[in-house]
Amino acid sequence: MAVLSTPKSAVELASKGRPLKEHLFRVALLSSLAIALIFLGMLLIYVLEEGWPRLSPTLWENMPSIRRPETAGIQSGIFGTLWIIGLTALMALPTGILAAVYLEEYADRTRWYNKVIELNISNLAAVPSIVYGILGLGIIARWLQFGFTVMTGAITVSLLVLPIVIISAREAIRAVPPSIREGSLALGATQWQTIWRQVLPASIPGIATGSILALSRAIGEAAPFLMLGAATLVRFNPEGVWSSFTVLPLQIYNFISQSREEFHVLAAAAIVILLAILLLMNSVAIWLRNRYQKRW
Amino acid sequence: MTSQPNVTIRGPEVPNTPGSLDPVFTVEDLSVFYGDYEAVRNVDMLIGRREITAMIGPSGCGKSTVLRCFNRMNDLIPGAHIKGKILYHDENLYGDHVDPIEVRRRIGMVFQKPNPFPKAIYDNVAYGPRVNGIKRNMDDLVEEALTKAALWDEVKDKLKQNALSLSGGQQQRLCIARAIAVKPEVILMDEPCSALDPIATTKIEDLMQELRQEYTILIVTHNMQQAARVSDRTAFFTADVDSAGVRHGRLVEFDQTTRIFTKPSDKRTEDYITGRFG
Ligand SMILES: Nc1ncnc2c1ncn2[C@@H]1O[C@H](COP(=O)(O)OP(=O)(O)O)[C@@H](O)[C@H]1O
Ligand SMILES: [Mg+2]
Repeated sequence: MAVLSTPKSAVELASKGRPLKEHLFRVALLSSLAIALIFLGMLLIYVLEEGWPRLSPTLWENMPSIRRPETAGIQSGIFGTLWIIGLTALMALPTGILAAVYLEEYADRTRWYNKVIELNISNLAAVPSIVYGILGLGIIARWLQFGFTVMTGAITVSLLVLPIVIISAREAIRAVPPSIREGSLALGATQWQTIWRQVLPASIPGIATGSILALSRAIGEAAPFLMLGAATLVRFNPEGVWSSFTVLPLQIYNFISQSREEFHVLAAAAIVILLAILLLMNSVAIWLRNRYQKRW
Repeated sequence: MTSQPNVTIRGPEVPNTPGSLDPVFTVEDLSVFYGDYEAVRNVDMLIGRREITAMIGPSGCGKSTVLRCFNRMNDLIPGAHIKGKILYHDENLYGDHVDPIEVRRRIGMVFQKPNPFPKAIYDNVAYGPRVNGIKRNMDDLVEEALTKAALWDEVKDKLKQNALSLSGGQQQRLCIARAIAVKPEVILMDEPCSALDPIATTKIEDLMQELRQEYTILIVTHNMQQAARVSDRTAFFTADVDSAGVRHGRLVEFDQTTRIFTKPSDKRTEDYITGRFG
């Protein structure tokens, strides 16, 4: 108590000046952030400026063409990308979420096979996407004879995003406090009822956020499709899962490798569309995260 | 009644429990293990019907461990198992044919920290009946349970509101309502007031007096005054260190609450309730 009853003089309470190190640290942090933002900004301005002349409805109304780049569009790429992502979501999300439920709620972590599974999921998340392309080509396209179809692409991309979906879903499931599970089980609910009615609903925002981010990673991928040998110049939209297809990143890649200047403008415009889709998906993810902030 | 064994507990008769009791649970030589660790040793207890039984003792002596045996919540912890016997009426609670889910329906539980589900107040109460497939007018059931938990007047206009918007004390009463809604015979409470302020605590204690008309209540508390105020019988636990240096919880004394607090027969109980220990 003696300490409290002796008032410190104003001089003593005044800041003695933060150590220099702390200032330097803050400056370093801020400048890293600034560098990242400046580069992102420059990139955006550059593609917008470059692609501006072609940012009109013809871009998404027309099909690509090698002979007339001035009027060529990217409709087949947009539709191909949407098909791939839609089918990937249908395949990878349920599988990934169920796998996460198994690992979090049922798996006995002391068993060796569960340890092996856990370790390998983290490893798989770090495998370069081109390796998945090789896998897709060798096993799905050739061995299973699925050919270069939407199905082959979607299965390949599903395998690519599955580890990310599993990891993020596990995190979301783990964030549900054990007291919720106990409360439910203590009322005579079965484990499955507890998962289905309490754990999953409570973790849906986190799962959705992670899933969207995983899918948006898939949207930007060109490498696995290149490996799969998806055609770059496709003048029709996919009509089903057994159609051949192309995706936006592949079209962009193709346009850029052409020599005529008009193709580069077209590529920039296509990049703007791709970025717009990505930003839209990421904003939905952020919105979801903020909308359903953890409340316990 | 004639078929019920009349077990006499040490000590003279008290008005509300005339020396004998009608046991809901008979605990015989119960030991509880977490893996190889024997957390609690050799507990013998009788839990009387429509009585409030308090379990007191220093922390870590195994009160929660024993409490969680009564609704088989310990089954959920890998490696946890028991030796000895708990009879629920005449049935072995740990018998081969016993379904722990059915046990938890009959023996409700309220936890230390209020844990309402992040859903509407209504859905919190309706959850138990729903998962148990109870087909009755749900509105009536919810109102009945909330009324019994002395919460109806406070929430009747906001049943659709998220339960997490309630105060801590209201949340705990909601958890009691949620337990009552499945019509259990017994309610287990693990330090239900330790996260609450004194006013909320008083409300829960009053509520317990109401509930004992209809339910058998077991309460773990670290608050001796609370045990003295609310309970009919008290079990005093403590932890001993064995020759190998391992701590084991054990039941020191089990008696009518008035006896425990006025004429304890064990020195350790006396030291604990007079505050010289723990
Ligand atoms: N899930 C568990 N796994 C292993 N040991 C546990 C577990 N829960 C409790 N224990 C141990 O059992 C003993 C009794 O704990 P507990 O029943 O929580 O005591 P109390 O409720 O009286 O404070 C303690 O030594 C504690 O460390
Ligand atoms: Mg405890």
